Amino acid sequence: MPKILLVEDNEMNRDMLSRRLQRRGYEVIIAVDGQQGVALAQSESPDLILMDMSLPLIDGWEATRTLKGAAETKHIPVIALTAHAMSTDRDRALEAGCDDYDTKPIELSRLLGKMEVFLGGDTGTAAGTRKGA
Amino acid sequence: MSDLPPETETAVKLPPEIEKAVQHMLPPNLLHDLRTPLGHILGYSELLIEQMKDAGREEYIPYLEKIRKAGHELLGMMTDNFQATRPKDGG
Repeated sequence: MPKILLVEDNEMNRDMLSRRLQRRGYEVIIAVDGQQGVALAQSESPDLILMDMSLPLIDGWEATRTLKGAAETKHIPVIALTAHAMSTDRDRALEAGCDDYDTKPIELSRLLGKMEVFLGGDTGTAAGTRKGA
Repeated sequence: MSDLPPETETAVKLPPEIEKAVQHMLPPNLLHDLRTPLGHILGYSELLIEQMKDAGREEYIPYLEKIRKAGHELLGMMTDNFQATRPKDGG
């Protein structure tokens, strides 16, 4: 079961996305700000991080730079999530070290496709066990 | 007061450069602020559609589809009208 770290400060976004991912068989751990996101990435070693970029304490760009600059976390794929669809936002996320980028509102099938690229066969297994939650 | 144009004239199509300037006068985070609750409407309606299908409660799905469709229409309008001219700011 792939372990996903969702870093998101908006309670409803957290609830909604974590439920939808759990229904597809993912284990989801939650951080509510960038600082907690960095700490959980270090302690939990998730398979992938979904990173909101507008975050309190440490924003998503700085958190990603920190994670990508540390030997123990730099291999973890980070997909940036922002509410803006401008190409400059995409460029900023990639410059910070994010491996991919998606916009909110989340279109789940599109996001799952991007996650699959990094998770490989594991995602197929997770999707195949979609039930409950 | 007499200098103000009649209210009907505000609907006249503005030159693109004027329209762009007006859109830049909108609060810089308006798009972000609108997209967030819209994302909740879309996401929860989709989640409920999935859950109703699993529970065999097909009778609720057409209503949930209407909510989702309306949300997508609103998102389309926002994207067409605001996105291209959003002032540069954070994510």
